[in-house]
Amino acid sequence: MTTATASVNGSAWRRVLELTLVPLALVVVWQLWGMYLATDARAPVPSRVAATFVDLVANGGLVGALLQSLTRVVVGFAIALVTGTTLGLLMGSYPWLRDSLDPIIEAFRPLAPMAILPIVLLWFGTGTPAATAIVTYAAFFPLLVNTVHGVTRVDRRLVQAASTMGVPRTSILLRVVLPAALPSILLGARLSMGIAWTAIIAAELGVGAKSGGGTSGGIGQMMFVFYSYSIDLNAIVVCMIVVGVVALLIDRLFRIAERRLMPWRQ
Amino acid sequence: MAANATTAVTSPGTIAVPGAAPRFTKTRLFRAIRSFAVFLAIWWAVAAWVENPIQLPTPGRVATALFDLAASGELLEHMMISVTRLVIALLVSVALAVPLGFFMGLNARANAYLDPLVELLRPISGIAWIPLALFIFGVGDVLPVFIMVYVAFFPLLLNTIAGVRNVDRRLVDAARTMGVGRAAMLRKVIVPAAFPTVMVGFRLAFAGAWAAIIAAELIGSPSGLGFAIEWYRQLLMSPKVFAFITMIGMIGYVCDVGLRALQRRLTPWADGTGL
Repeated sequence: MTTATASVNGSAWRRVLELTLVPLALVVVWQLWGMYLATDARAPVPSRVAATFVDLVANGGLVGALLQSLTRVVVGFAIALVTGTTLGLLMGSYPWLRDSLDPIIEAFRPLAPMAILPIVLLWFGTGTPAATAIVTYAAFFPLLVNTVHGVTRVDRRLVQAASTMGVPRTSILLRVVLPAALPSILLGARLSMGIAWTAIIAAELGVGAKSGGGTSGGIGQMMFVFYSYSIDLNAIVVCMIVVGVVALLIDRLFRIAERRLMPWRQ
Repeated sequence: MAANATTAVTSPGTIAVPGAAPRFTKTRLFRAIRSFAVFLAIWWAVAAWVENPIQLPTPGRVATALFDLAASGELLEHMMISVTRLVIALLVSVALAVPLGFFMGLNARANAYLDPLVELLRPISGIAWIPLALFIFGVGDVLPVFIMVYVAFFPLLLNTIAGVRNVDRRLVDAARTMGVGRAAMLRKVIVPAAFPTVMVGFRLAFAGAWAAIIAAELIGSPSGLGFAIEWYRQLLMSPKVFAFITMIGMIGYVCDVGLRALQRRLTPWADGTGL
């Protein structure tokens, strides 16, 4: 993403300056604004955000909420991974199945995960199953679509060669098609994990908002409680930063996994 | 069907590129109708078996609710509110992100300084802004628009930068050799060359914004489609909930198909930009 101007200018400190100047300037302006201009004493300020972060970590609330959200994401993602790649493998291999299911999938794919929140609330209540269901729904489509894409692009000569040598169909599917489609599946997994993380925040926020603060837990609901009950804007900003950092870490983790699992793509 | 397994994988000509625009040829339409008929039949059967009209109303009752909502004008009212917010947000986002994208794409120095900020903010999803924005703007029109502007901003910005930076150097050099001035260079060479990528960014921006508006309206707005689904959920009027959800899906689908068509029409020189 970033430009490699360091080599152009030939100095490392210039690169450091480029990386930090604008974000640091913004933090300083924000701090000064909070100290001298903000009319509302509740306004978030970097120094108070940092202090709140230390408090929230110390009392264990933040870590607990984060773990709860992450557990839901991992469970929802795992369900989507199994169902999405299985259906994707089948749809990629059997044109009649693909032709039959494509219209339904294309109809549901653009439907936002939050749009099904009311249905999920009616079916599963306001706890973990509801939040997990939304994550599963959100994570399912990128995985499915990318698996189908990967499978339909598998080199046909590989399949023909295996079939000529008398390899049984299930083995071809698992030993030839699946590995060949792996790059596409992993790309789908990375996209879907990113969407799942956004979806869990939305789901917990929504569930929290609609169950009167509620007991749903998770970092999304924590944010809503800070908004509607304790009105602690510093804590909300802490949560936002944590959400961003986790999103970044998830993305990096999947990129590393892609490189490790597919060294031949370098 | 099992006998088709290997030939299915190997049969040429049936490779469906995911995300490709559906061509409404006769067979394709027929297949879609058949699929939806089966889908509705299964839905109806499950609904009849569950016998719980609050958890799962039958397709017939949802269709009736959709018709009633359309007849009373309520459907159109909420739809217009949401679509107006969407259009305003996308316009604001384009006005902010595209010029900035051109600036950052053309000016490597500015890009080096501004890019870290973009990369710091980008991982914070628009949804995570909802509680803070709710405090700042209150419940109303501004919140969904703000969230959508934020969500639409990043794909537009990054695609504009990428589009500008990936303009074929030979085009620029050729134009320069022929003595084309700076303004003409921008207008006649760089803008057309970057436009297809900007369009891709716009489609991503639309998809993100349309997903975000539902969350924003559901949590912090007294009107719009996102509000309507949750309002009728609380009243336990499930057929109306399902009717509004159907509407949300249909608008998203139609707009996506429309944008793809627009993309092909506006940038016919850029076939196969992917996506």
